[in-house]
Amino acid sequence: MNIVGVDIGGTFTDLVGCVDGHIVTSKCSTVPADPTRGVAESLALAHCEMPALSELLHGSTIAINTVLERKGARTALITTRGFRDTYAIGRGNRIEAFNLFFHRPKPLIPRELTFEVTERMNAKGAVLKPLDESEVQALAKVVAAQNIEAVAVCFLHSYANPAHERRVGDILRAANPKLFVTLSHEIAREYREYERTSTTALNAFIGPRVQTYLGRLEHHLRDERFTGKVNIMRSNGGVMSVRLAQEQPVSMMESGPVAGIIGAGRLAALMGIECAIGFDMGGTTAKASLITKGVPAIEDGYVIGGEASGQPMQIPVVDIVEIGAGGGSIAWCDPTGGIHVGPKSAGADPGPAAYGKGSTDPVVTDANLVLGRINAGRFLNGAMKLDVKAAERAIEMKVAGPTHLGVKEAALGIVQIADAAMSLAVRAVSVKKGVDPRETAMIAFGGAGPLHAVAIAREIFIPKVIVPKVPGTFSALGMLMASWRQDFVRTLYGLLGSLDGKQVDAVFAELAEAGQAQVARDGIAPGTADFSYLADLRYVGQEHTIAIPVRDPKLLSGDFAPLREAFDAEHDQRYGQAAPDERLEVVNVRLVVTAARTDTLAERWLSEKWTPEPPVADEWREVVFTDPAKPIHTRIVWRPSQASGKRIEGPAVIEEPNATTLIHPGDVATVSDAGHLIIDVML
Amino acid sequence: MTRNDAHPITVEVVRNAIVAYADEMANALSKAAYNMMIYEVRDYCCGLIDTKARMISQNRGGLPIFLADLGVAVADGIARYGLKGFAPGDVIIMNQGEVCGQHLNNVVLYSPCFHRDELVGFAANRAHWVDIGGVRQGFGSYGSNDIYAEGIQMRSLKIYEAGKRNETLWQIIRDNTRYPDSALGDMRAQIASCKLGARRYAELIARYGRETVETCIAKVWDQAEASARAVIEKIPDGDYEAESFLDNDGRTLDKPLRVKVKVNVRGSQMTVDFSEMNPQVPGPLNSGRGGGIAGARVAFKALTSPDLDVNEGCFRPLEVILPEGTMLSAKPPSALGLWSVALPTVIDTILKALAPAVPHFIPAAHKGDMGGCSFFGFRDDGSRFLLMNIFGGGWGGRPDEDGEDASVSVCQGDVRNTPVELQEIKYPVLIETHALRPNSGGDGKHRGGLGVELTYQLLQKCKANINLDRTLDPPWGLHGGESGAVNECIIARADGSEVAIKKATEIDIAAGDKVTFLTAGGGGYGNPRERAPEASAQDVTAGVVTKQAKP
Repeated sequence: MNIVGVDIGGTFTDLVGCVDGHIVTSKCSTVPADPTRGVAESLALAHCEMPALSELLHGSTIAINTVLERKGARTALITTRGFRDTYAIGRGNRIEAFNLFFHRPKPLIPRELTFEVTERMNAKGAVLKPLDESEVQALAKVVAAQNIEAVAVCFLHSYANPAHERRVGDILRAANPKLFVTLSHEIAREYREYERTSTTALNAFIGPRVQTYLGRLEHHLRDERFTGKVNIMRSNGGVMSVRLAQEQPVSMMESGPVAGIIGAGRLAALMGIECAIGFDMGGTTAKASLITKGVPAIEDGYVIGGEASGQPMQIPVVDIVEIGAGGGSIAWCDPTGGIHVGPKSAGADPGPAAYGKGSTDPVVTDANLVLGRINAGRFLNGAMKLDVKAAERAIEMKVAGPTHLGVKEAALGIVQIADAAMSLAVRAVSVKKGVDPRETAMIAFGGAGPLHAVAIAREIFIPKVIVPKVPGTFSALGMLMASWRQDFVRTLYGLLGSLDGKQVDAVFAELAEAGQAQVARDGIAPGTADFSYLADLRYVGQEHTIAIPVRDPKLLSGDFAPLREAFDAEHDQRYGQAAPDERLEVVNVRLVVTAARTDTLAERWLSEKWTPEPPVADEWREVVFTDPAKPIHTRIVWRPSQASGKRIEGPAVIEEPNATTLIHPGDVATVSDAGHLIIDVML
Repeated sequence: MTRNDAHPITVEVVRNAIVAYADEMANALSKAAYNMMIYEVRDYCCGLIDTKARMISQNRGGLPIFLADLGVAVADGIARYGLKGFAPGDVIIMNQGEVCGQHLNNVVLYSPCFHRDELVGFAANRAHWVDIGGVRQGFGSYGSNDIYAEGIQMRSLKIYEAGKRNETLWQIIRDNTRYPDSALGDMRAQIASCKLGARRYAELIARYGRETVETCIAKVWDQAEASARAVIEKIPDGDYEAESFLDNDGRTLDKPLRVKVKVNVRGSQMTVDFSEMNPQVPGPLNSGRGGGIAGARVAFKALTSPDLDVNEGCFRPLEVILPEGTMLSAKPPSALGLWSVALPTVIDTILKALAPAVPHFIPAAHKGDMGGCSFFGFRDDGSRFLLMNIFGGGWGGRPDEDGEDASVSVCQGDVRNTPVELQEIKYPVLIETHALRPNSGGDGKHRGGLGVELTYQLLQKCKANINLDRTLDPPWGLHGGESGAVNECIIARADGSEVAIKKATEIDIAAGDKVTFLTAGGGGYGNPRERAPEASAQDVTAGVVTKQAKP
């Protein structure tokens, strides 16, 4: 069995495959105009024979870019009469509280393409006004006449009773079979009409473009005589079939960042790490995620394109805290002498000043270069020679000069500020969840992750850092380990202890049926899927809920003591208090259906015995650690040649094709049996 | 590892950390909160206070009018107990009207923060409790004559003393609110939030040392001050003034209240002078000094450093002249129930005064009120319900673009309306319309944003508080722009009659009555004749302007 994962990022297309028992990797430039070319090129670079592959896993920025660039389809929105402006009004909030020139989220669908129809459900799902089908028939004609490619339908309380939405979908599709139709209850079946409308609109808006893209990709693969399965990485940390991705493209919004965290989760599980923090640092951002018993936390919703004016989505996503600090983040000074790093990034073009492409803005990579922490000749596996002098000039002009610091001092400052910012992100995924960083280990990857990981770990008292094999393309590796996953939710509102058993059972049965239908459609072998139920619980009167696993529906309708205990404990853990005497209520029931991969190729490779390459002599270089005036004469080690059990004492720099690991004085790295670097951090 | 005092790098680390701690406090508070005034309206603030009662840092995203004003509450506690009078495990509660200057629902809690045995600061928060007793409930009530009618006052009392709960005080609170589960639940969340903040700040001090941290904080304040001064220097020196009017105090209905402000700019210093502000009024539309200072600070912050975090340094270049006895500096025992109602107008009036001097900094007037409603009564099972919702309106046209539609006031930042579906799940109402209000934005080169139309049908008899203002003095245009539409509220009775209401406390609503709120639009910016034809055409296409363009 041969599988490959291809991750198309903004700058690079990464590939990792398990072919004939070996790991293959490649990295090439993304071709924005035709992403399928990047896929083809990376496969060729890795010498993958298409007919020999049994599965291709894929993540792409196509969905998110379509939103950020607002280049989706001409889309219409259909709402309940009286609620045409739900989408435009949103929640009315202004996140930038003091900004008189604020911008609220701008709908992806204009008001003139938003239409009302007569219908109304109440909160219990009872029909107050029947659907006026003649209005819908008339609308179908308008849709055709106005060259509309996609339609989003969101009716009030459709989570409770989707009958009207379904009927509208049938009428529109019958009138125009090519139309891309998204019904809100199919995407997000829970209350909050604005967030549900926004999610539905996003799906419709990106639908036709993503559908075409995936169609082309599949076509291309078939042309190359690929006969295996194609699975698409999704925001919830799982994968789905191409067909499902074409119906729910909104769920592949975060497919890239999530894959690496899934990989880190699997590694944590293999290594028996109870509580790990996945840390991924690339060119423009750093991401952190908490992994408990090998499983990353999942959030129920998030915002695409910035909290203040972005588009909200109400679907599950791996809880990743992302901050604007990456290798390409620009360092700058404000007029009062404060030094800042990011959030602007130089990207790949013009890139760091050291690329010599004419940029005079110093970035984090420039600072690392000036400090001797990265090798000017080995960047991107030697494909990009770096110009130290250009990096020094940029730092002198933009940071050192204005703050009256030396160039090395300023460079160290830039790195330390970036480290401090990233450590706050790591803190946000640990302490904010009530987890003490001292009881965790960090798994660091991404092009720049291993370079900064130890400093960040020290900053917030994480005692152990693990740098896995192939850290530079680890996200693509993560795809090879992701389970198939689909999330379902139904609103079920009521007090624990007074819920009607029949009603509870009906909700569970409905969820199970929906899950089984999806499993069958995606060709998952019957009986191999795992069905896990959770209830969103809270104390009566609270708004925010905590999802607690529910093994048996009777726990909701009968003796709920075990749920009560689990909820109180979780509440105490998160918020520092609990109220065991207060009544509990349920708001939603969730179902998570997963089907683990039938192979364990990537897992096996991650834990199999490490075979080093022939020895390469160590080099020596001056590297600045904590004192810019006193660089340390430091050993430079070639990682692929290091045998298992090798201890590398800091100070040291460990280099490999697509990443560099920095070991500070006092810290010790050990090569594990499987070839991962285990770094003990001196706290 | 040694670190120099106020090394730029350490400063940057401390700058980020102190705000992150306040944000963590806010998260612990809002996620566990029991009333929508906290979890949706975000009517709270959290922060760290030093031993001189100055605001070290404040969370992002709380209510803008809570600007570095937790200090006065803590100062009162320091005066009472002395710096040696606090022990680990203490939690102090404070809402007294005279000192805090706000309605009594805004309850402050704080914990002392110790490093080893030394008191190094406090972690504090303020949150709006849904009920604190008193003669009336729900916001928007005009029913009180003095502070004693508005609920219980607690002045710097220890609800926990060295970790031990004061059961007497706990019982008094429980017995004096209509919603004890909510009040005590919110207090529990507030206390957990304070303890968290105190723990974090102690960790920071343990790490770098008290002196280094405090030096860094001083530096952060200095930088905030310098940023503000740099902006004021761009405003031409001069004496500016403006006035506007609130409708009335809810008692003497034919007497508008004058909001008069003078703004003097000299170099990098700004003075906001409220000497000619309307005197305090019999109705509860007063605030203590804190209200006047908050109004001046919001306007100042929006002008000078909207993107910087809030701390003590931001406001050093601002002087506020505020004699005792005005509507914004009322003497006890004035009623303070609607303390914040005047503030959006106060803030817009300060901005209006400066508009001729810096036209490119200042938008036309926004909707000008806090915008909200409350319905309350008993369900069939005898339990109480209280529906509260906040809604937005139009913002003024801006120098380069139209105003935003349907947004909350300048006094409310990340405040959210309550979802229609949520209201219908929880309360006996059916919402018929939630829409933009066409034609409500003032015409102009850059049009004012639109208000909102929201119609409730009540399914059960109940009462409502209705609280409109600024119906006489509409949201003004600037530089030739026209005014926005004013707030309206219409009750269509189940019996077919109809009545327009501006202010009402505990008005009876019958099952089947429909209550429609039409919120104000923003003023226009610049002469309407200069509006780009394609912009006007788009307004018609989108249906946000339906009337014939004026000749």
